[in-house]
Amino acid sequence: MTVISTPATPTKAVDAQKYRRPGKLDQWICFWSVPIFFTLFGLIFVALTRVMPPPSPNLTTTQVLYFFHHHALTIKIGFTMLMVVVGFASWTNGLVATHMKRMSVGSVWAYGYIAALAVGAIPGCIFAAFAFLTAVFRPDRNPHVMVLLYDMGLLMFIGSLGCFAAQYLIFALAILLDKNKIFPKWLAYVTIWQVVTEGLAAPVFIFKHGPFAWNGAISFWQGTAIFVFWQVCLLYLLHRAIKDQPLGEAVQDI
Amino acid sequence: MSVQAEVDQPLIGQHNNDITAQTVSLWITPVSGLIFLAAFLIFPGFRPPMSPSMPADQVAAFFRDHTTSIRLSMIIFDICGVMLVPFFMLIVVQMKRMATPSHVFAYSYLSGVATGATLFAIADLFWLIAAFRPERSPNLVVLLNDMAWIVFTAPVGMLIAQNICLALAIYMDARPMPIFPKWVGHFNLVCAAVMTPAACAAVFRTGPLAWNGFVSFWLKISMFSLFVIVMFFMLRIAIKRQAFEEKGVA
Repeated sequence: MTVISTPATPTKAVDAQKYRRPGKLDQWICFWSVPIFFTLFGLIFVALTRVMPPPSPNLTTTQVLYFFHHHALTIKIGFTMLMVVVGFASWTNGLVATHMKRMSVGSVWAYGYIAALAVGAIPGCIFAAFAFLTAVFRPDRNPHVMVLLYDMGLLMFIGSLGCFAAQYLIFALAILLDKNKIFPKWLAYVTIWQVVTEGLAAPVFIFKHGPFAWNGAISFWQGTAIFVFWQVCLLYLLHRAIKDQPLGEAVQDI
Repeated sequence: MSVQAEVDQPLIGQHNNDITAQTVSLWITPVSGLIFLAAFLIFPGFRPPMSPSMPADQVAAFFRDHTTSIRLSMIIFDICGVMLVPFFMLIVVQMKRMATPSHVFAYSYLSGVATGATLFAIADLFWLIAAFRPERSPNLVVLLNDMAWIVFTAPVGMLIAQNICLALAIYMDARPMPIFPKWVGHFNLVCAAVMTPAACAAVFRTGPLAWNGFVSFWLKISMFSLFVIVMFFMLRIAIKRQAFEEKGVA
């Protein structure tokens, strides 16, 4: 038999609450890691390793060998940097989830957001680095194996669709149904656009030329433009959400 | 405001098994750790760690000659490696008990663990795939062996981000008697720093930074083991103290 306790009974949640100093330093640290991480991400994927914008899926074996030969040094520098900094993506996930938990819709989507991106980090980001690093590690590898690694890296990077589609979908749903107005509704519509771009990237597994190839106008450029726009909106709105959060606000912990 | 009320509500009718679950998770760690150590000693590729400059035909011969012990040790790795997840989740639970301004570091830590554990699971699969058909063309055996070593050694970023956010959470814990003492924060930062150079293992084929080198192999693995041992004892104290506090309350 359980007894209904009186409200005076301290609970675990209250226990930590009682010592908690009002402040936002931890959130601000995570927040500022986001622009730093994305700047490094841009430097690594665009300037150093040449994964963005992607080279053509339509190269000959000789051209693939030339690509790896020509960019070997910057691939090594860039992806070694990625090995060190990739974990900071988890801080962004933690920060977004922290604000999703402040929504009126409960924690289910906050946890879903973390899970979808923890999965997505592997095929959608870090595996491209493994494939390219493995390729340039032994330039004397069999040329067919080099082409295999080229395809593996780029298809996983551009073609990891589901993890991100799930992340964007639950994020959009959470914003639309939230009554605590943590993020404005228009962010949900931008986010839904992101789900659509994941769908539009699906043909990269079929086409080697044209707008639907992995370097194409629709599959790559359109998706990347919207991603950058979304990321900037998210950064701005996260900043606002942290700033507007009442000091000492208690958050559901279920 | 309704959120505030929810927190002040006592947890009605909840049978509290939390301490039991945490204690069991804690003791899964040394048990799987010992089995893991046995597998580590069985894997011929670690005694000594295979050189990245081994020619393709020698790598292929290595997988042919040691098929059984590679399969045995890597199947154990496959099963036991991710058994560390409950241990890492204990750290998350204790981070959530800290009197930090929010739970953001606990969730960031959890996110990092999920990705890091998956990476570990992938590395041993590559060794198992290589050993599945050792008669495969040496080009492909080398490819699989390279990928296994690179995935096993180089992606240190998850552990770095985890250790830094755990350290920051420890520093910000405002409890009069903190969940973990401050030196555990410093220790975590040292761990992050010592493991960082292993990221270069995907680039160097000889020397201390190569995947069989002193820094990328021995130092990184020793540091990680020390981390697990130190956190095991720190978590043991934290859980005991939590049990005591909750008994005192009830």
